[in-house]
Amino acid sequence: MVTLKTAYGDIVLELDAEHAPKTVENFLDYVREGFYDGTVFHRVIKGFMIQGGGFRPGMIPKQTRDAIENEAKNGLKNTAGAVAMARTMQPHSATAQFFINVSDNAFLDHPGQDGWGYCVFGRVVEGMEVVDRIKTVATGSRHGHQDVPVDDVVIEQAVIND
Amino acid sequence: MAESLFISDLHLSAERPTALRLFLRFLRERAVQAERLYILGDLFDAWIGDDDRETPAAEVIAGLRELTDAGVGVLLQRGNRDFLLGRRFCHATGCCLLTDPARIDLYGAPTLLMHGDLLCSDDHDYQRVRRRLRNPFVQWLFLCKSLDRRRAMAADYRRRSGEAMATKSADLMDVNDHTVRDYMLRHTVARLIHGHTHRPAVHRLDLDGLTAKRIVLGDWDDTTAPYLEASPTGCTPSSFPAPGTLYPPAL
Repeated sequence: MVTLKTAYGDIVLELDAEHAPKTVENFLDYVREGFYDGTVFHRVIKGFMIQGGGFRPGMIPKQTRDAIENEAKNGLKNTAGAVAMARTMQPHSATAQFFINVSDNAFLDHPGQDGWGYCVFGRVVEGMEVVDRIKTVATGSRHGHQDVPVDDVVIEQAVIND
Repeated sequence: MAESLFISDLHLSAERPTALRLFLRFLRERAVQAERLYILGDLFDAWIGDDDRETPAAEVIAGLRELTDAGVGVLLQRGNRDFLLGRRFCHATGCCLLTDPARIDLYGAPTLLMHGDLLCSDDHDYQRVRRRLRNPFVQWLFLCKSLDRRRAMAADYRRRSGEAMATKSADLMDVNDHTVRDYMLRHTVARLIHGHTHRPAVHRLDLDGLTAKRIVLGDWDDTTAPYLEASPTGCTPSSFPAPGTLYPPAL
């Protein structure tokens, strides 16, 4: 389990290494090196998802490791509370950014709209009310990106708890 | 922020409005954060003279002007498609023309900038045409013709060049390694940045015992804008829009 500590409260994620082994390992590697500490939820769309783990405040991108294989074909679904990897339009391009679904987004499930879909690798087991608070923050266009919270929603720390 | 961006081979034209919109977004949202923007040729798919103010010329001029007014230095190299870009374009946009090749000091590292067509020295037919088209008298004769006439001539030239390319081998249209070395040694640089070949990569080469780098910029399509970011800490290939800011897509 991994806890994301934010000013809005803690979000506890249970990871599914059985169904998404490479994705979980990748995520844990980033957690262990402290990569997520001080990153923000930079893309918040109420009724869709909250996305983070790639930018520092001010939309400054963080240098990631190489992209990983897309394990979206694992049967896990993008339902409310499910955690999945964000990526570019290329199917195997996920690095560090992840998102938490705040509604049932079946169109993101494998095969999705592009033949791959978005890989779910865990779910929120505690703190869904925190996610629900984050999803309602005011957003706007900042630094050329849309749906960016007006006030930074910072992941102060991501820690592994056994 | 001490950061310079490098792009090339956008091939903007009236037929590709989506690519034009992407470029204008890139200027407003990404380039504006940088200190300098280097455009290493083939910004346009064709350029028939600085007096052409139709799409996409008008939009590009306005976009570049906005950027230079915001304090970003824009340095422009001509490519094999837009070699007629001239002083009036620069005056209208606030860009500075660079020679090809151009040797610059990039945060302390001497760097050679080229469009890249000069490096494809195995393609003798092309190099011959290139020499003729760069002849000032040939250019003057062309520019004396009406815009409509020039437009028709340029379209005809592009069609013929497309036909010629279809019959050429891939090797012929890539750079010649000896020519690359010659240019780098002659200009005493350990880094060369160029476009033209549409084969984005970072090549390492041994230059008289010194490890040198040849960075090839990527060509743009309608959705992805590859660019190179250079800062005092080094060069990193990147792309716009930034990964993860649009995906997953909202319904």
